[in-house]
Amino acid sequence: MKADRKYRRIARLLLISPVLLLGGCSTPHFWLIHPKGPVAGAELHFMILDVVVMLGIILPTAALLVWFLWRYRESRPRGKYDGHWASSTRIEAVMWGIPLLAVGLLSYFSFVGIHEVNPYNPGAVTADKKIGTHADPLEVDVISTDWQWVFVYPAQHIATLNRLVVPVNTPVHFRLTSATVTNSFFIPQLVGQIYAMPGMRTKQTMLVQDTGTYRGFSATLSGPGFSWMRFQTKALPSRAFDKWVAKVKGRQNDLTYAGFNRVAQPTINLNHTVKYYARVQKGLFQHVIQEVKQGKVFSTRMGMTSHM
Amino acid sequence: MLVHLQGPWSPFIGRLSLHQIPYDNPIIVGAFAFAVAVGIALFAGVTYTGSWRYLWREWLPSVDHKKIGVMYILVGLVMMFRGFIDAVMIRTQQLMAVGPQSAGHLEALHGYIPPFHFDQIYSSHGTIMLIFAATPILVGLMNIVVPLQIGARDMAYPYLNALGLWLTTAGAALVMVSLYLGEFSHDGWIGLTPLTELPYSPGVGVDYWLWAVQIGSVGTTLGAVNIIATIIKMRAPGMKWLRMPVFTWCAMATNLIVISAFPVLAGALFLLTLDRYLGTHFYTAALGGNVMLYTDLFWVWGHPEVYFLVLPAFGIMSEIIPTFSKKPLFGYTTMVLAALGISGVSWSVWLHHFFVMGAGPNVVAFFSMSSMAVGIFTGVKVFNWAFTMYRGRLRFDSPMLWAIGALSFLLIGGLTGMMLAMPPIDYQVHNSVFLIAHFHSWLMTISFAALGAITYWFPKVFGFKLDEATGKRVVWFWIAGAVLVFTPMYILGFMGMTRRLDYVAHPSWYPLLVAEQVGIGLFCVAAYYQFKQLYVSIRDRKHNRAEADAWGSTRTLEWMTHSPVPFYNFAVTPQIHARDEWAWRKERGLTNLMPDRFQDIHMPKDTYVPAVLGALAFVFGFGMVWRIWWLGALALLAIIGVVIWRSFHRDTGYVIPADEVERMERGYLEHAPEGATEEVPVGEPAPGVLASSQAPSRQGAGS
Amino acid sequence: MKSDDTESEDTGGIVLWNDAHPGPDMISTRTLGFWLYMLTDAMLFASIFTAYAILWHNNAGGPGVGQVVDLGYAFGETVLVFASVFAFGVAMAALKRGSHRSVVRWIGAAFLLGAGFLAMEIHEFAALALQGIVPERSGFLSSYYTLVLTHGLHILFGLLWMAVMVAQVLRQGFTEGVVYRLLNLRIFWHFQALIWVFIFTFVYLQGKL
Repeated sequence: MKADRKYRRIARLLLISPVLLLGGCSTPHFWLIHPKGPVAGAELHFMILDVVVMLGIILPTAALLVWFLWRYRESRPRGKYDGHWASSTRIEAVMWGIPLLAVGLLSYFSFVGIHEVNPYNPGAVTADKKIGTHADPLEVDVISTDWQWVFVYPAQHIATLNRLVVPVNTPVHFRLTSATVTNSFFIPQLVGQIYAMPGMRTKQTMLVQDTGTYRGFSATLSGPGFSWMRFQTKALPSRAFDKWVAKVKGRQNDLTYAGFNRVAQPTINLNHTVKYYARVQKGLFQHVIQEVKQGKVFSTRMGMTSHM
Repeated sequence: MLVHLQGPWSPFIGRLSLHQIPYDNPIIVGAFAFAVAVGIALFAGVTYTGSWRYLWREWLPSVDHKKIGVMYILVGLVMMFRGFIDAVMIRTQQLMAVGPQSAGHLEALHGYIPPFHFDQIYSSHGTIMLIFAATPILVGLMNIVVPLQIGARDMAYPYLNALGLWLTTAGAALVMVSLYLGEFSHDGWIGLTPLTELPYSPGVGVDYWLWAVQIGSVGTTLGAVNIIATIIKMRAPGMKWLRMPVFTWCAMATNLIVISAFPVLAGALFLLTLDRYLGTHFYTAALGGNVMLYTDLFWVWGHPEVYFLVLPAFGIMSEIIPTFSKKPLFGYTTMVLAALGISGVSWSVWLHHFFVMGAGPNVVAFFSMSSMAVGIFTGVKVFNWAFTMYRGRLRFDSPMLWAIGALSFLLIGGLTGMMLAMPPIDYQVHNSVFLIAHFHSWLMTISFAALGAITYWFPKVFGFKLDEATGKRVVWFWIAGAVLVFTPMYILGFMGMTRRLDYVAHPSWYPLLVAEQVGIGLFCVAAYYQFKQLYVSIRDRKHNRAEADAWGSTRTLEWMTHSPVPFYNFAVTPQIHARDEWAWRKERGLTNLMPDRFQDIHMPKDTYVPAVLGALAFVFGFGMVWRIWWLGALALLAIIGVVIWRSFHRDTGYVIPADEVERMERGYLEHAPEGATEEVPVGEPAPGVLASSQAPSRQGAGS
Repeated sequence: MKSDDTESEDTGGIVLWNDAHPGPDMISTRTLGFWLYMLTDAMLFASIFTAYAILWHNNAGGPGVGQVVDLGYAFGETVLVFASVFAFGVAMAALKRGSHRSVVRWIGAAFLLGAGFLAMEIHEFAALALQGIVPERSGFLSSYYTLVLTHGLHILFGLLWMAVMVAQVLRQGFTEGVVYRLLNLRIFWHFQALIWVFIFTFVYLQGKL
């Protein structure tokens, strides 16, 4: 009996200890609650709405359960016992009604939210009243390989490897594909996920409100190098961005189709390699899609990373 | 051959070679040594107790639904342990491989497992836990309990029942063999394309996964046909549909999911198999394949699959809570409707697993709303359980603790599920550890219910109770472990940690990973107490003899039988009068009675054929994995041959004469802890026993 | 007291055990199970039909469905399938009459007609393969071959089953086991004809028209 009580005390302490961890919520490490762009901001907004509505149901239900457990226990019962009571139309109406209402409300929020963050046309970005300066959108093509990210800027004819640089307060229109397998393009503080799939083209729209450096990565397993498939995203003021573009154009290296095939060889990005290309062969994005559709693969070697 | 294979292939031994044995990997060698040690210990134990003949004669060829159920649960528990070891290894690697300064051991750059092995470990963890642990345990429970709850002697198809068991075992065996010979899949339990296509998964890993899951799923599908037909056809007289226990209704609802959804998995995997073996273009990005097709077909199965796991859990909770509240289940009709509703709606939600794949907003909105709709049925069930406890008398024996634990995790799983059902949220947490914590919360509900069910029905099957003291410790340590593993995981999801990472780049995540490691340590303590419970219970079994009504306040028909249940279940078929028939009889003092005459009982004969077919299925799978065509072909022909040969058998049953039945019954009752019994005429009204509630039985439902 | 159904039909008292209950009829139990199994087969075909629906335009520059299917030929196959089902139906009528000879003869006829269908199908695909029109060429061809030949594989199993049933009827006569297996085979055979109707419609007709 005593040992049982001791275990219960330990268990009770352990049960509430995770609450102590909540202290870390304020730090900027919590990417999902520190959005820096309207799409991520909308996503956080709907997350809070959903949690509030659901807690409005879950907390009272949990309290009711705890109360019943305490009140009707056999060792020290406080309520009366009715061994045959097993139905009540009134209670049933309420217990069907509450979930129905909650689901109805959340469905409405969900519908509104989906259109706010729709990758192909997010209301959060296109609704003009939300954005201060509405510059011309920037086009970026994203090509994922085994296990790196190539970013092509078709209007500027430059490209980068494992580094995304964008101007602030400018809508960025992404086109995404993969040279190999499916990856999920994700920059938590800026924009939600969208798959990049081989032989296909998906889209995403993003806008960054604060300058800074943000972390992006793939959120879908794509092979042995997946854990290292990360890239930094830098948001610069407009002028600084133009300067950066000019600087890249001043470099020597090109990204031809053949060059891309070399980059796309299975590579695990252990050294955080970043490259910049001054010239990109035209139509690289479409070319990659066509090649894949005609059968181009970048095979994984059997037993890769068995001896790292 | 039509596909390009990396590595050697010969017509005689296919892709097999000595290089495929990982003798240079100390962890696998250690695992092998452990398995051999356990094997030797078992061998010694069976020899010491002289049980070879008993096991060979009574268990291996058994078609008795109770023995088959016990074997299903045993397979499930063994695989659960293997899956648990996988989990410990995952947690340890993620703790050790945090930050660029983290050290590397045993050929890993960080931590102690390079991606080649780590990816296999979480893939096998998921596959094992879902397909080879949870499924067999739940199917085993349904196997044992459903015929007893409806007053039947056995399932509708005893031979097919055994076949399902041995096919599941064959699948599990393939997964186990992959550890020591070759490799397992690196691509997660889901196996999305094109990662699982041959160029990107060139080894045999995905092939092992394909054949193991395929063979195991055939077993599950056959089992579903069996349970549905049993419930439709084999109910005792008076057991009308709306008198069946809720567990049986949930078994019905869940197996309707199986017969409708599992064949879609078979189709999805079949097409991937063709891609990998014949070079077709179903799921390739090239030459007209469609990468998204697999995702759709897989999840059309995958979502109903998780409801297949949770519905029996709901059924179990609906049995345990009334028993330990000394009250009938509140809102019976609602519970039945909700179970069937969940079964139906589960078919309309699958796209929520890939909101981020880029479907248009209106398609996404539909699936979001249907996903939330399931919450209505689940919420109704939660309230029903709460009002079952209301005005009851609650006893907190370990089955009840398991049920309450299951209910707690259900609330968290439900809350986070409603979050994930909203695409704006899902776009941020898809594939993150927040998602992992969400579905593990549900898996905690399912495993708590399963362990509670094992404790609850154990005395009925074996005639003695499991030790309560250690049992309670298992519950508390399991709950504490789950809280400490999954609460930090939810938090890490909000920090941006994605799933399946072999290397964790952000040192700021380290404290939470430490908390998770403490949690998994608590799970290990729970596992220790679980083994201890089994040992203590078996050691003290003579002191913990259980009577028919093992828990004192049980309500459903299976508690009317002896503990342990005789192989024929009921000596004479009972006549059913009400829902919760046993509670109804107890209220009228109709306990401790036996029939005054008996008749011949027809029982199905035991047969080794299902075990043989299971072994052949294993050989077939093995041959196909390694592309040893002659072996696969021979095994397949042998399977067809054995099935045809068996179909010519005429005497697949035998008869127990009436006086033999009487002798066995009297034998049971002589040793029954319940005490003296009275004889009552069969088929006629019991004399002196009237319809009103009279003479309460010893521990009746009234207080 | 709650309003559960509590009393037995007897007025005087309560009947606790019932040994007059006949239990489930073996044949109807077996055929029910087989219907349930056919449901699973239907879902399997549904998944393969889904794949075909998604992929049937994906020629990848190779031959499309219009160049690959021959409506007249497929119509011939259809006639054979329906004739085989008809023959099997006559066999079932003979089963009702209890005539061993008749059952064996008409199952034999169904077998020959079904084998004819299979032969036509094998010929069709062998001819395609010889021209280099192989499943590995494109998503369309993969799904075309797979859908039609999965059905063909079912037909093959059905033929094997017919042969086994003939042997069983000759050896054992019309035992309970033999009868329920014949009834299940009838369900199976009719079902395969039904699937063929879908294939004819969605592959051959849709492909040409």
